[in-house]
Amino acid sequence: MDFASLAVQLNAGTIVPEAIVLITLMTVVVSDLIIGRQASAQWTPYIAIAGLLASVVALFYQWDVANPISFIGEFNGDALSVVFRGIIALSAATTILMSIRYVIQSGTSLAEFITILLTATLGGMFLSGSDELVAVYVSLETLSISSYLLTGYTKRDPRSNEAALKYLLIGASSSAIFLYGASLLYGLSGGETRLSTISASIASAGLAQSIGLVIALVFAIAGIAFKIAAVPFHQWTPDVYEGSPTPVVAFLSVGSKAAGFALAIRLLVTAFPLVSEQWQLVMTTLAILSMVLGNVVALAQTSMKRLLAYSSIGQAGFVMIGLILGTDAGYSSMVFYLMVYLFMNLGAFTCIILFTLRTGTDQISEYAGLYQKDPLLTLALSVCLLSLGGIPPLAGFFGKLYLFWAGWQAGAYPLVILGLVTSVISIYYYIRVVKMMVVKEPQEMSDSVKNYPPTDWTLPGMRPLQVGLVSALIATSLAGIFSNPLFTLANDSVLKTPMLQQALGRSKAPIAKQMAPTISQQLSLQITEVSTKKAVSLPKSMVHS
Amino acid sequence: MLSTLIWFPVLGAIAIAALPLRQSKLVALTMSGFVLLWTLWIAHQFDFTNPLLQRQEYLPWLEPLGLNYQLGIDGLSLPLLMLNSLLTWIAIYSSQEETERPRLFYSLILLVSGAVAGAFLAQNLLLFFLFYEVELVPFYLLISIWGGEKRNYAAMKFLLYTALSGALILVAFLGLVWLRGADSFAYEALMGQSLPLWIQIVLLSLVLVGFGIKIPLVPLHTWLPDTYVAASTPVAILLGGVLAKLGAYGIFRFGLGLFPDAWATLAPGLATWATVSVLYGATVAIAQKDIKRMVAYSSIGHMGYILLGGAALTALSLVGAITQMVAHGLILAILFHLVGVVEAKVGTRELDVLNGLMNPIRGLPMVSALLVLGGMASAGIPGLVGFVSEFLVFQGSYSVFPVQTLLCVVGTGLTAVYFVILLNRTCFGKLDNAIAYFPQVEWRERVPALILALTIFFLGIQPTWLVRWSESTAIEMVAATPTVTHSPIAQVSD
Repeated sequence: MDFASLAVQLNAGTIVPEAIVLITLMTVVVSDLIIGRQASAQWTPYIAIAGLLASVVALFYQWDVANPISFIGEFNGDALSVVFRGIIALSAATTILMSIRYVIQSGTSLAEFITILLTATLGGMFLSGSDELVAVYVSLETLSISSYLLTGYTKRDPRSNEAALKYLLIGASSSAIFLYGASLLYGLSGGETRLSTISASIASAGLAQSIGLVIALVFAIAGIAFKIAAVPFHQWTPDVYEGSPTPVVAFLSVGSKAAGFALAIRLLVTAFPLVSEQWQLVMTTLAILSMVLGNVVALAQTSMKRLLAYSSIGQAGFVMIGLILGTDAGYSSMVFYLMVYLFMNLGAFTCIILFTLRTGTDQISEYAGLYQKDPLLTLALSVCLLSLGGIPPLAGFFGKLYLFWAGWQAGAYPLVILGLVTSVISIYYYIRVVKMMVVKEPQEMSDSVKNYPPTDWTLPGMRPLQVGLVSALIATSLAGIFSNPLFTLANDSVLKTPMLQQALGRSKAPIAKQMAPTISQQLSLQITEVSTKKAVSLPKSMVHS
Repeated sequence: MLSTLIWFPVLGAIAIAALPLRQSKLVALTMSGFVLLWTLWIAHQFDFTNPLLQRQEYLPWLEPLGLNYQLGIDGLSLPLLMLNSLLTWIAIYSSQEETERPRLFYSLILLVSGAVAGAFLAQNLLLFFLFYEVELVPFYLLISIWGGEKRNYAAMKFLLYTALSGALILVAFLGLVWLRGADSFAYEALMGQSLPLWIQIVLLSLVLVGFGIKIPLVPLHTWLPDTYVAASTPVAILLGGVLAKLGAYGIFRFGLGLFPDAWATLAPGLATWATVSVLYGATVAIAQKDIKRMVAYSSIGHMGYILLGGAALTALSLVGAITQMVAHGLILAILFHLVGVVEAKVGTRELDVLNGLMNPIRGLPMVSALLVLGGMASAGIPGLVGFVSEFLVFQGSYSVFPVQTLLCVVGTGLTAVYFVILLNRTCFGKLDNAIAYFPQVEWRERVPALILALTIFFLGIQPTWLVRWSESTAIEMVAATPTVTHSPIAQVSD
């Protein structure tokens, strides 16, 4: 194998965005070492944000790349992964915006925090594109281990330690289960690790109906459901969310969750098409449980972070509707919902961080009468929460509309109706917070709000928080009304992804024929039948008979 | 230019909320006054003879969702738009000068007004739904911040009921569009009939229950007394005068208009349902001890006539139903306003305590006189607008549903009963001189009632001015629906 063909096969250009994040990470670490903690805190966060934004720009150029397969099939930088990597990078950038002040005030090192966060981001980004079991597992663990570190970052806080320990124990066992499922897949397929070839090998070995495949599926779903915090794999969520530093929770609820969904799509669609009915059934059950339990238990919460923890479980249930449908519209509305969720959930967390920094509490009752002291915060938090509740004309309303419409078109009537009913329930607890802030009379004001210090935006780290707050507010208000570009992006990402088109094509043959010529460098991932096509540039791994 | 009716109030609302204006009431009043004039101008340009949509506006918006910005007016929406603009102005005018947090208050009222106008104008199902849901949170805040006792409970109840109603309507809309195989939620594209009858019936039932919560129809009404009583006067005027009409409008536009076959099939049931609502509202109102609660229950009864007129589906009854929406809006507004004034001056709403307000020296003679007028209008005394609309509804419905119509006529009799009770206790009798040191009634409080009273009286003696808007649209709607089989009595009465 000569060097040129090796370079083609490695196709390293695909991971330029990740490389940028990695370089940023190294820069942060090294500069922290060289110039010391105090000085580096001045500008490392901005380097990190700049790096993440540069990575997003690089992702933009990955959009139309001719051959997205790189590292001999380890990594697939198709359009879907580009969108997910973008979501994760943006959520990390926003998390840094909101964490600067928080970390400074907690008296810990900012550069270390950013380093771990960037590592988690890197893991999440790689996970979105991993196309091979080992790569999936390695990136999953990168994300998970960094997340454990992040949850325990405020090490003098016993609750943070508790959260980290819980998260570590449950997370490690879920990783182990996932790994076991992956090993089953490896065995059943006769030693295949590439997701796209696994199912074909299993089918040709006549094991399509084997119980082992179902067990592998269940184990894989257990690992995924842990990451996206779907009921009944959600038990860690409330405790971890309550104990962890708030910016970390923000990242866990958006970035980490998005990575989990990216993995879910890729793994379930490419590796488990033989048991697609089974995984749809299991995911449907998880979605129903998540929507019901997440939204109902949230009603009883008194702590804001716990409320958002349960609400995020419910939100994950909504997103899973899009995953289950298995249609173009389903996937694209799911991607769209995740983008919108990024704005509104991070916006809500920014507000909570700001409030906690001012008052040191996150009890919902302490928000009473906040409108008098901080109208901007009240407005932003109200808008974000109402958007999560699906009130028009905010972004979340349109996200839900796309999801429910896609669900309805695919005939998932019970799911959509359940989604609507639980949305109505969710409005109750979101509006409860809004009521606390807006409706309470001045004399009903809570003690924290009575002693609310005037916001000093000039303190170090406050400006980024303000920027994050205002941009999340604007995005949440307008992303729905002007959702055409975003939805087109989501839709294109699905249409341009060969993997999804192949999977959809199996059930809808005419569409597949329509789509096939438009996809450049079409890779044949023949699933049900023995492959007859040959891939253009990847002779070794793609051809099998 | 219809967009002005939506966006002018909405932009006004944002301006009031964002800019540190001192005179927010004045600004809101000017804005809503402008909107009122604009509505009148649009009405002036309206072509009576054209039953179809006029002044249509179209902007492509979210094509993948089939949601486009489509507006238009016809004889069904125009009277309600005028009602909305008028009552918004009245509500703002009648609000107290010393309202707490005025900027938020007026901005929310303007927002609600714009959203309601949008719902009346929308010619796309999702666009309607969007506007329908937009007023949810502003109304919640309006009730729960400026309401009376139990306002939190009432506001939350209102919110959950309305959100549920929205969910049902959305299911019906999604179902309709999907089953029809349409790729757009445009209203025109969905008209006509091609679905199997039983599917139509299922979808129509969802629409009926969804909007029935909003109207409200018995037994979906339990939020109404709590909410109307807890809301402050301007908010109650908007709730009862405008928002309830949104439910009735929705039933006509999206129930009758989209599912004509099912409507014809269900019509006898609907008429019976309407009758139950009328009788229930009237009898429960008789038993009330709180005058605001009494007026609230009267509203349930009066909204029943609208459904009766729609169920009968003759041109006359339909015109009557549309007229009744406007008439009821005006009458309810004047009653709520006067009840609010009485409560502010006398300090109670209890029937057992109130007495002799007609007393020319120490009582509230003018308020009482107007209250008598409002009660008479509500009870359907000839010469006032309530009579016109009820007469049209009964006249139009009798040939189709004689029994139900007769029972509803009994309902108007019961209306007279409770208004006699109300007026007798409140206005007449001997005023207790010991407690009768009421504050002066200001012109600010008289003017809205006077304007409403004049409108009620004028439209009562010149009903053409009210009826002519909707005539051709009503005929068109009846023509678009399969004929209902007439009962034998109908031929006799003809």
